[in-house]
Amino acid sequence: MSGNGPDARPRDLATGESLPPASQPGYYPGFQTLSQRDFWDSATRRVVEERVRNVPRIRFFSPAEVPLMQCLCDHLLPQGDREPERRVPILNYLDERLAAGRIPGYRFEVMPPDGEAYRLGFQALDRMAWTARGSDFLGLDWDSQEALLKALHDAEPWPGAEDVWSRMPVHRWWALVMGDIAAAYYAHPWAWDEIGFGGPAYPRGYSRLAHGEAEPWEVDERRYVWVAPEGALSDPVESERVAHRGTPAQGQLGTH
Amino acid sequence: MPSLLKGPLGGAFPPSDSAVHRLGSMQTVDLQAMRRYWDDDLVDYVIVGVGSAGGVLCQRLARAGFRVVGLEAGPFWDTEKDWVSDEVGSHGLYWNDLRITGGSDPLTLGSNNSGRGVGGGSVHWASFTPRLHPSDFEVYTRDGVGVDWPISYADLKPYYELLELEMPVAGPAYFPWGDPHGYAFGPHPLGGVGNKLMEGCAALDIEVSAGGPVAILSGSRGDRPHCIYRGFCIQGCKVGAKASTLVTHVPDAIASGAEIRPHSMVSRVVVGSDGRVEGVNYLDRNGNEHHQRARAVIVSGYAIETPRLLLASACPGHENGLANSSGAVGRYLMAQVGNVVLGRFDEPVRMYKAPPAHALTEAFYETDPRNDFVRGYALQTVGPLPVAFANQMIAARGAWGWGLRRQMMDYNHWSPLGVLGEILPWEENRVTLASETDQWGLPVAHVSFNLHENDRRVSRAGTARAIEVLQAAGATETFSESRYAHLVGACRMGSDPATSVVDGFGRTWDVPNLFVCDGSVMPTQGSANPGLTIQALAARTADYLISQGETVFTSDRRDMTPPPVRRELSPPGTHRGVPRLANR
Repeated sequence: MSGNGPDARPRDLATGESLPPASQPGYYPGFQTLSQRDFWDSATRRVVEERVRNVPRIRFFSPAEVPLMQCLCDHLLPQGDREPERRVPILNYLDERLAAGRIPGYRFEVMPPDGEAYRLGFQALDRMAWTARGSDFLGLDWDSQEALLKALHDAEPWPGAEDVWSRMPVHRWWALVMGDIAAAYYAHPWAWDEIGFGGPAYPRGYSRLAHGEAEPWEVDERRYVWVAPEGALSDPVESERVAHRGTPAQGQLGTH
Repeated sequence: MPSLLKGPLGGAFPPSDSAVHRLGSMQTVDLQAMRRYWDDDLVDYVIVGVGSAGGVLCQRLARAGFRVVGLEAGPFWDTEKDWVSDEVGSHGLYWNDLRITGGSDPLTLGSNNSGRGVGGGSVHWASFTPRLHPSDFEVYTRDGVGVDWPISYADLKPYYELLELEMPVAGPAYFPWGDPHGYAFGPHPLGGVGNKLMEGCAALDIEVSAGGPVAILSGSRGDRPHCIYRGFCIQGCKVGAKASTLVTHVPDAIASGAEIRPHSMVSRVVVGSDGRVEGVNYLDRNGNEHHQRARAVIVSGYAIETPRLLLASACPGHENGLANSSGAVGRYLMAQVGNVVLGRFDEPVRMYKAPPAHALTEAFYETDPRNDFVRGYALQTVGPLPVAFANQMIAARGAWGWGLRRQMMDYNHWSPLGVLGEILPWEENRVTLASETDQWGLPVAHVSFNLHENDRRVSRAGTARAIEVLQAAGATETFSESRYAHLVGACRMGSDPATSVVDGFGRTWDVPNLFVCDGSVMPTQGSANPGLTIQALAARTADYLISQGETVFTSDRRDMTPPPVRRELSPPGTHRGVPRLANR
């Protein structure tokens, strides 16, 4: 596999060789939150198991939109390091939110409703691609797609869709899509295993609170060094995000 | 690896209709046996919103013998069945109906600051319960900013003391800031984030309050079990260790004869021909409209829904909104600076364990002439779970793609600190009605928010201090996310009817039997989480209403005599203490 595409895998820093696909990437080999499910209350068990077993079918995106949205997911939250059957079906969870009309309790006055924002964004992707390369977004090669998306991430969109970005600020669109994709991925127990999050703990609770100690059923970290696939523009991250056009990058989810 | 228990002895925890796995004894609320009123029954008080304030009001007024109906837009939670230890699965705890947000520094709404369902925001608060400082009640006199409250710290102090016992609050025996005081329930053990706050502050010689103040049981009490340190506080405490009015006050309200009517969305406060309110219109879960008659109405819908309802209740004589002759309804809305600063440590922290709220410092709370701003900020532990943490990485660092995957694999190495900073009340930060309507056809709230220079300086200083603390604790890398926390104001209390909506007891200046009691009455906010103050204000308003008796319903006279503190109205079990022998 060359360095680009949805199946591109991270590489070993020393050898430059692609790492083999894993059922579970990350630094906590063998850690499985789902193995603890008998210790969870039944309401939590039901919700988490449903998420894994009953992947919602696509209802919001049209058949024509699905490949484009899937391509966005592959760039914005790549899973090439995961065995195909262990990839989180981000698109389906995201689609389910939009189909159900669930919103977070607000809409920025500068933004259209969420579903409309997605579709406007799709139009913009195709128009920017046509203007630059004479092809729709899916017709671009992987590296060009990545470059176009990096430009959106930087709030410096390629020419061709100025009317769309005058209707909704590009940084708000990026935050919407990126937030939805991240919420879908990191709500999944396979992602919890990857990052070493202990997951649900009622009614048993946690007993080792202090100094980052692992519970008896958790796994200590075993780090390895990896670099992103060749051509990936998303790594490393910025040290601090630059405010866009005077608007500070405001977070959305609550901690206090 | 040692051999581990592969599953619970005796098998998986059984379905939730069994009581077997409940922790400790649990109180039972029998809604079938709850007293019910018909819409055309004339009750004494209708309370709009059964949250932090509404729950306390229902409890106090019912215990004093009034006929009380609490109308709540959301459900009556059955916590064991309805709540889950899961971030995304807890979406329904929040007020998710559409609101439009704008201004130069727009607020985000919903998950961070607005509850729905019986218990309201106290269901999903992290439950830090610091008091306001005495200085908070006179920031205009002291610093020439904001406005003074019409009441003083001394007026509220007895109610802080009461509510700290009723919740109850766990914390240190000596809390050094503001009006120094102690807590009856012992402090909680520290999690990894508290360790880092303590280490950093110790290195910098900054005092820390460890293990509270937080409204989470550190020991079992009556029919409630103690904390199990699972970290899902803001997803709703299934354990029942964290205080919410759903567990602390609503059961006693019902036992005392109040009716709590869930799925009741109030659409209008109705004014009669005599200029007094005569009840409210509300929609049931099927969208059918009802009218509940009442001799007085208390609006307790919090800082967005309370002004929204008053504005939507405009009528002849109140063309600009009910009780809005001052034009102050919806104005002076406040949020607090709620920046999250994260430090990366070489060793693991595992921020998801222990209550997110368990240690803080108020060493930078007060105005300090050495600063280039007035008022201040607190630093507090927080504990974002993976989805919230990913959003912080996205918002603050622009993380995406492989970079996001990489950062998230280090989740266990980051320790967050929350900055809680005072934002001053500004007239143009306000709630108005938008042209869009919600699923009931009611106009939704439009919220406009702008930061001013002092607010920005508080925010910057708080973030810089948090970075300093994390670095002193050994962080090798830091970054910060700008965000807000909490909402208050927008129907403020005051001494002058021309510039405020309600008097010092929550009575509207314009309509003698219409009251507002929730966070929206707060004229300023300090750097303290507002939950305790909201409940203390509710207990004080209740004592006032009880002391006024029938005159609230029959007279337009405004009596500002402070009421006696009615400690006997606390829920049962609040005051026991060492037995004293009678007649000695």
